[in-house]
Amino acid sequence: MSASPAPGSVSTVKATFSDKPADTKPAAALEEDDEFEDFPVESWTQEETDVPAGNTHLWEESWDDDETSEDFSAQLKEELKKVEANKKR
Amino acid sequence: MDSFFKVFSAAYGGGDGYALADTLSPIAPASQPDKLRRFVHSTNYASVQNDFKYRLLYDKASPLRLNVEEGKAWVEVYVSFWKACVEILQAEAAINDNQKPSWEKVYRAWKEVSDHLNRGYTAAGFENWTVPCLYVVGKYLRMFAIKADEVASSLEQTTIDFNEDLSLDDEQHANLEDAARQLNKVFQLCLSDRASLEESRKWGIYSIINLLFKTYFKLGKITLSKNILNALRAYRGDMPELDAFPLSHQVTFKYYVGVISFLDEKYEECETCLTEAWYMCHKDSLRNKELILTYLIPCHLLTTHTLPSQALLEPYPYLQTLFSPLVRCIKQGDLSGFDAALAAGEDEFVRRRIYLTLERGRDIALRNLLRKVFIAGGFEPAKTGEGSVRRSRIRLVEFAAAVSLGSKETMETDEVECLLANMIYKNLMKGYIAREAGMVVLNKKGAFPGTGI
Amino acid sequence: MASSWGGQNIPPAPGTGAPGTTQYFQPAPPAYHSVQVRQSFGITQQPPFIPAQFVPPPPAVSIPQPVTAQRPKTEWPASVRRYVQRCFDPKNLDNDIPRAEIEAKLKKAITSASEKEQLHSIDWDSLPLPQEKIRSDRVQATWHQQSVDLRLGGNGNGNTTLSQAAKKRKSKEMGDHEESNPPWRAANNQNGIESRITYQPLDKRQQQSKEDTTKASSKFQKNLEKRQKRFDGGYKSTYRSPSPDAAAGPVVGTCPTLFKQYFRLTSAPNPANVRPEHILTQTLELLKNKWRKGANYAYICDQFKSMRQDLTVQRITNDFTVAVYETHARIALVNGDLGEYNQCQTQLRVLYAKGLDGKSLEFKAYRILYFILTSNRTSLNDLLADLTIAEKKEAPIRHALDVRSSLALGNYHKFFRLYLNTPHLGAYLMDMFVIRERLAALCNICKAYKPSVKLRFVTEELGFESDADAAQFICDHNGQHLIEERDDGVHFVTGIPAAQLFEASKNAIGKPNGQP
Repeated sequence: MSASPAPGSVSTVKATFSDKPADTKPAAALEEDDEFEDFPVESWTQEETDVPAGNTHLWEESWDDDETSEDFSAQLKEELKKVEANKKR
Repeated sequence: MDSFFKVFSAAYGGGDGYALADTLSPIAPASQPDKLRRFVHSTNYASVQNDFKYRLLYDKASPLRLNVEEGKAWVEVYVSFWKACVEILQAEAAINDNQKPSWEKVYRAWKEVSDHLNRGYTAAGFENWTVPCLYVVGKYLRMFAIKADEVASSLEQTTIDFNEDLSLDDEQHANLEDAARQLNKVFQLCLSDRASLEESRKWGIYSIINLLFKTYFKLGKITLSKNILNALRAYRGDMPELDAFPLSHQVTFKYYVGVISFLDEKYEECETCLTEAWYMCHKDSLRNKELILTYLIPCHLLTTHTLPSQALLEPYPYLQTLFSPLVRCIKQGDLSGFDAALAAGEDEFVRRRIYLTLERGRDIALRNLLRKVFIAGGFEPAKTGEGSVRRSRIRLVEFAAAVSLGSKETMETDEVECLLANMIYKNLMKGYIAREAGMVVLNKKGAFPGTGI
Repeated sequence: MASSWGGQNIPPAPGTGAPGTTQYFQPAPPAYHSVQVRQSFGITQQPPFIPAQFVPPPPAVSIPQPVTAQRPKTEWPASVRRYVQRCFDPKNLDNDIPRAEIEAKLKKAITSASEKEQLHSIDWDSLPLPQEKIRSDRVQATWHQQSVDLRLGGNGNGNTTLSQAAKKRKSKEMGDHEESNPPWRAANNQNGIESRITYQPLDKRQQQSKEDTTKASSKFQKNLEKRQKRFDGGYKSTYRSPSPDAAAGPVVGTCPTLFKQYFRLTSAPNPANVRPEHILTQTLELLKNKWRKGANYAYICDQFKSMRQDLTVQRITNDFTVAVYETHARIALVNGDLGEYNQCQTQLRVLYAKGLDGKSLEFKAYRILYFILTSNRTSLNDLLADLTIAEKKEAPIRHALDVRSSLALGNYHKFFRLYLNTPHLGAYLMDMFVIRERLAALCNICKAYKPSVKLRFVTEELGFESDADAAQFICDHNGQHLIEERDDGVHFVTGIPAAQLFEASKNAIGKPNGQP
């Protein structure tokens, strides 16, 4: 079914229906702008979806081994001194 | 009236449900900004009934030959539609005059349209190709209810419930609550159709469900969505498969089911739904893709401990702002940075209902930090004939120092132990704490499962 | 006071000049100053203006003159001006409330809204008038006076369902002066769970209630903020002052009897059986006394339900209503009556959202703890979204939020420290999930430590009063064999089998007691 009026009329809807100032919205509610939008067309082809080309990886591992670990070792040593000093006190 | 009828008979004669539904759109298309006004002015209260009757049933020149019952039912639908349009024009006029529009009147008039339409299906044999009408009418029913609730000036006193408690809760959404009930009727109307699948109103069902989901979300009654899903499940097998429906229905449905699972902490289910929605979504619907990712990213963090790549976030500046600081801190195992980023984004995270999920990403940040300590610990003195082995006995204070990095206070050792115990308990780290010795003994192999060491 | 109003220069708040954020109307003084006000009133239902002679100012108070020239930059939204108009509408004026007091309140409300840049966001049309607020504050003040630091009752001897420890706690929390135990109370009974609660020292509590009283003056301001947060433009106020001229709709009770049994109504009530507010005020005080003297909970609960019913049918929604629900909620908590507590809490949420204050911080904190108890994540999510930044900083709410995050992150160390320092009556709620959390923490410890830990460590980490309590808890969950006496003290043997043992116990508990 026609998920929405023709693209051109979407703006008409907005113009007609947005007579409220935005600041009266409760800050916290999941609101209209969080709503999933109607698609301008009812259906589409595989080509019109966005399956990324070949090697583009979308998700990556959560750790990062590239970072220079010497920096970290130095920081850690510094902090270790503090911790141990605290303990002796 | 003539131009209206021309469109109607073309749509009806051609069996084009979408075109027919367009005749029930209360919004003038950009190409004909005056459409509604001309339609309203083409008749009046006194003659509207007869005008439609004549056109739909008695006009000898008309190419249509409607069954009388069905024709009468359409007349009712369009008469109520015309009346609703009158109210809409009045509301718009009020806005132009800087007066309060009565969207409540519009809502009530529109509900009449919906009632008559429903009756057409239950009592007058409206055919299933016309179901797009149900969606269009339902969609505006909801929209007008929202407008009416915003103004709500002419709201009647809600009836007093004579129990011991106040029932003041729902007044701010009185119309939308009502719309939800009405949409639920439409849902039942589609669901319970016994006609064979080819002729079934069931083809309208996902579009209506999606409207209901949106409504329940807006009402903050997301649990009601589950009733819908249960009802749907009960009819399974008797229902066309979801993938037989238009992609727009599928994607929207999967998005909402995904978010519902997310809120229920059913992250596996959430991941499945949202991943499918993401891949099926139209590539130009950036906004919808952004919404999908808003929930899919926190979900991924928990289910697979993976983070979005730069390539994934690239088209979405909003998501970059939202997630990049956290992502960076998780990767670096920067606990105090993570806490700061979580606090900085708290309002938006909470508003999106992703705060509680993201918060749990702290475990991954901690795991990465401990992992770095492990790596910084270097290797055991090499023994002949063996490969190098990492130093696997690590003093508790080393971890305590790491956990305190970047924060002003040093964490008590007991609390540090507690955090380590959690890592071990959750299988993010393998080994044990030897408390008396003040040592953590890590597994020589796979101390941090899944991370290559 | 009143004259300073005219000279008060309220500058446009910073940022209000940003394009698109404001829609100021032409400059006009804010006040009840008929001429200016009138210009913008063509379209409201209010009378277009109030002829000056209809507004009898109390003799002592001079009506401030608008000094337009001094305040050229202040522009007021029409809604604010309508609100001011409404305040001084003769039909809203009350001889009992001096005009000066109204003016002061009004000024405060508007100043505060202006400072907070809420002039445009507050729903002025449904905001209770200052006089309504003053009226209900008076009721509240009476209630404060009578009950200053007597939260509720004293020794609940009549209550047989309470454990020894809980009774003690009740008497402390309810502010019983006869007791002057130190904040820590050693208890070594079988029931280890209930025996460990901290109490705030009495002097601290008294201080607190003093603070509460002084805070009352800024309540109105706070209400404004809250309303603004909670309501979208569609909100329609049902705020009703219980005045008899609200003839259509709500019942106006005439029943003079103080106590009344609760009956569920199926039709409109007879006004002769409904107690008006001034009777109910006395009822509340008397009930609190009865409770203090140890009246039976079932009786007290029933009486409270009938009070709530009388308030409902009369549509009385003010600070007194809040006091009734709060009191009932506390009593229900102390008695472990979660069902009744939850009903009160649900209503309180509505009342607070309407801008009534009461002890909202205390009760919002309970609400957080309650959702932790019932593992109601959806509601917790919504509640988080509802809290303002200011609220999140307040001690009781901060505490409850910390409890939440410590559990979310598995930080049992922090959790049990928080448990031992729970404000107000929150410990009654936490008691109901502390077993669950102790078992979870034991699972953690058993899996993470080898080969054993000192029992003392368990005692301290899991917030037990004594090693004996800790040992008792372990034994209660079939872990006798895990406790070993050695030369260097008592050890608790850890390991995977032990972890599985407590895991099983934890799963067997499932949802906490008292859950519907």
